Amino acid sequence: MSPEMGHDDVRTALAAEALGALDGDEAEAVRAHLADCAECRSELEELREAAAALAHAAPPAPMDADRSARLRARLVARAAADRAGGAHDANPDAFSTGPALKAVAPPLSVPDDRGGVIPIARARERRGGMGGWLAAAAAVLLLIGVGAYAARMKGRYDALSERYASLDDERTRLVRSVARRDSTLASLSGAGVQVIELASTQRRAPNGRMFWDPATARWTFFAHDMPALKAGRDYQLWLITPAGPVSAGTFRPSPDGGAVVQATYPLPRDQLKAIAVTEEPAGGLPKPSGTPLIVGTYGTTE
Amino acid sequence: MAVPDTLVPAQADRELVRRMAAGDEAALGALHDRYATLLHSLVIRIVGDPDDAEEVLEETFWQAWRQAGRYEEGRGGLSTWLVMMARSRALDRIRSRRRVREERWEELPEPSYVEAGGSGDVPSPLESAQADEVRRVVASAVARLPPEQRQTVELAYFRGMSQTEIAEATGQPLGTVKTRARLALTKLRDALAVLREDAR
Repeated sequence: MSPEMGHDDVRTALAAEALGALDGDEAEAVRAHLADCAECRSELEELREAAAALAHAAPPAPMDADRSARLRARLVARAAADRAGGAHDANPDAFSTGPALKAVAPPLSVPDDRGGVIPIARARERRGGMGGWLAAAAAVLLLIGVGAYAARMKGRYDALSERYASLDDERTRLVRSVARRDSTLASLSGAGVQVIELASTQRRAPNGRMFWDPATARWTFFAHDMPALKAGRDYQLWLITPAGPVSAGTFRPSPDGGAVVQATYPLPRDQLKAIAVTEEPAGGLPKPSGTPLIVGTYGTTE
Repeated sequence: MAVPDTLVPAQADRELVRRMAAGDEAALGALHDRYATLLHSLVIRIVGDPDDAEEVLEETFWQAWRQAGRYEEGRGGLSTWLVMMARSRALDRIRSRRRVREERWEELPEPSYVEAGGSGDVPSPLESAQADEVRRVVASAVARLPPEQRQTVELAYFRGMSQTEIAEATGQPLGTVKTRARLALTKLRDALAVLREDAR
């Protein structure tokens, strides 16, 4: 039995409840009060949202790319198999045996004269011939059910086999792609690689180049000769779309004016009009406030 | 021409949940793309081990897939839902690994929140402007908290310690710990409310 808590006491304990930091008795008392108090429930929702936002305060730690790709492939394959098996339902924890088997499960026992339920074996003993008919009927139903279930499992097995084959193809493609990339990287980063840079005789102007792979949603941005920033200022990278500029993050150039920004962001191919870089207050702004330092247009205009 | 869903996160989230509930596995892949970094940053902070973090993420996304039909939008946004599931599973994992040990204040790790105001030399993920703004506001609100309030929230949120355990670990009276937790989270809530207000 949990101790009772008054409305004011509960309100002061809601932050701890949102953080999951209440001790047993207190948590029980708070939950009992919540069942009847809409005001506290609403405040708890807000505090829970605030607590969940703390996830944004953890240092950004993207998953290792290979690991992430494997996890994604596993999830999609599991979901496809789940869909093929029709087990996507409102009962997330139970293993679904499918409706066919569930339908035949009840006939394994039959109602007795008093409305109770007795096992088939005993029913047969008591009722002689009638029990035999019932047992035979149940057995037939069971066989039909098992047959339907087996067909269903066969369907699921076929779907999984197909999925496995396509994942195997995908894996082969990825291995080849990684080998190609390794080769490209080696050609760029080898100790003996020479880079000849042609510089303008004029004052060097900032410039950038964005590599965008719409198929993988990967973006890689290189900037050169960016002027040094004053304290409290950042450069901000923008994707200019028909709906307006979308922030692509902020960056500060190295002392030689270079910078690299890499990211993943899905954007339909026809939604990119230009890339731009502006100088903004540190941390960036939701919308650009200054004129672009460098701009690159993309595609055709409507 | 329709506005691409990536530009309107809440709308895109609703659409993803609807597609998952309808059994579209591609939507689960898209959910992974959208939230893996946020969830991994949180989970790795809690469990520490990359293998454990990967398993927790898989369990979380799988739970989202199975329960998409029961997701109630009124109960916070999609990221709140996912973060709560991921954190709960991550904490279960560390609790099963160890009972809370006797830890003294000076042995506790320093909180390592992102600095307010800039991304420093960490390449910023190309996220929507709204997600960037949430991160900036949260980091700034957390950075403004007095160190002891920040530490209290840190111990509760990332280490799953109860108020009594925090009081024991830090040698502070229980009442003080409760007050710190309340003040810290209330300030954070108010900062987010301002963000929402500005967005209107």
